[in-house]
Amino acid sequence: MRLIVAGPTGTIEHDGGTFHPEQQSRIFSVMDGIRALNLEDEIIHPPTPKAEWRDLTRVHSVAYLTELEAFCAKGGGDIDPDTFCRPDSWNAARRAAGAGLAAIASLEEHGDGVAFVPTRPPGHHAERDRAMGFCLLNNVAIAAASLTARGERVLILDWDVHHGNGTQSIFWDDPNVLYVSTHQFPFFPGTGRVTEIGGPEARGLTVNIPLPAGATGDVVRTAIDHVARPTIEEFSPDWVLVSCGFDAHQADPLGDLALSSGDFAELARMVNEFTPRPGRLALFLEGGYNQMALRVSVTDTLGALLGLQTQPSAPTYGGPGMNEIRAAVADRGRALEHPQTASLGEG
Amino acid sequence: MNATQTIVVGYDGSADSTAALRWAARLSGALGARLRVVHAVGLLEHAGLLSEHVTVDGEKALEIAVGAGGDPERIEWSVVDGDPCSALLRMTVAPESADLLVVGSRGSEAHEGSLLGSTSLELAERSAIPVTIVPPVHKGENPAPV
Repeated sequence: MRLIVAGPTGTIEHDGGTFHPEQQSRIFSVMDGIRALNLEDEIIHPPTPKAEWRDLTRVHSVAYLTELEAFCAKGGGDIDPDTFCRPDSWNAARRAAGAGLAAIASLEEHGDGVAFVPTRPPGHHAERDRAMGFCLLNNVAIAAASLTARGERVLILDWDVHHGNGTQSIFWDDPNVLYVSTHQFPFFPGTGRVTEIGGPEARGLTVNIPLPAGATGDVVRTAIDHVARPTIEEFSPDWVLVSCGFDAHQADPLGDLALSSGDFAELARMVNEFTPRPGRLALFLEGGYNQMALRVSVTDTLGALLGLQTQPSAPTYGGPGMNEIRAAVADRGRALEHPQTASLGEG
Repeated sequence: MNATQTIVVGYDGSADSTAALRWAARLSGALGARLRVVHAVGLLEHAGLLSEHVTVDGEKALEIAVGAGGDPERIEWSVVDGDPCSALLRMTVAPESADLLVVGSRGSEAHEGSLLGSTSLELAERSAIPVTIVPPVHKGENPAPV
């Protein structure tokens, strides 16, 4: 299978200093992980121009985009205790969003393969008119919206340790996007309950699987199999986009799940099963803040998709969460039967 | 108009949020309202990675609130996951259904007139319930809401 790498971006701009975990060196670790695949000249690197205004406004409000651009132009600052802007952050964010669009275009051009989008800042916390959680523009949502604009149906599977509140809220009532998230809960950003199932036009097309701290890879895979798979198969996506955070790794300083790089390899194989045909799968970097874990997880995830022998660490088993999965199946069923009991999750 | 039953105040240990806490506690005591003191925990604080070390002590917050005139039986301390704005907005809907939000006025590095970087302005823009923004306190002054 062909590997398309749309990036890297964010290696120079958007510098929050070395104290901040969402730092430029993350991208260097990711690229080390890609180099470890030993594919060298076989990797396709499409050009990654900045996303255009028309691409951004499918997802974000004009007022927010205008304000974000002006905020950066005035020198930037801290948006909240987690999220910063620098003078060049606007361009970095547009470049990250553009890389996702380039990945889609390259997959279509080649007609096969898998695309990986190693960019920063990440995106899945960014809402239509808000930045938060290190995220300025919602990269995966911008790519998905470019596809739904021409009638395609998109599955976004988010395995970052944090719930993708931004992606959920953007597509809350969109019948052409199925959003599935596994995440630690309760945890930042506070959303992602199983009873958040989508708006009136997209009831059931938000699938949240909250998991307790310490959950292992077998729990995450069981959760996707039991809670999400039936909905995914019924939805029958044309495209599969992955919010591919590696902060569910057991070594990550920002999360408390207990996955190994081998678990990400297993998840990647699982996600590939949901892809309707070659050339319809793209993975977008979200979180992941332990440099070593990030590097090996990238290698093992992409290696699994490409059928390479990468010697991933063993998948993990035995953590807590199986009871929560059983409860999630029941709670989701009740919320679907009685929409008045469902939560408002549109942010 | 229904009486104010629940007041929610944002508290992060800063001088500005302490002024807001005192003001909210005094009001809750006067009205006989319940006071919920909310501290939002973001990504960096959860991981102990905030650049400036901030210690947010719930017991101290409750002491301050009681000292300012709040009824100890009607004050609750809550630690909530999320960014400050989202966490406080969540308090405005069920099950909490607060009647009034109170916050300090400081925006960390906000630019004049910009919602970005200013929790108080963003709340004022987005909240469906009344928001009181308490200005910074200078020595010898009583804080008054704006």
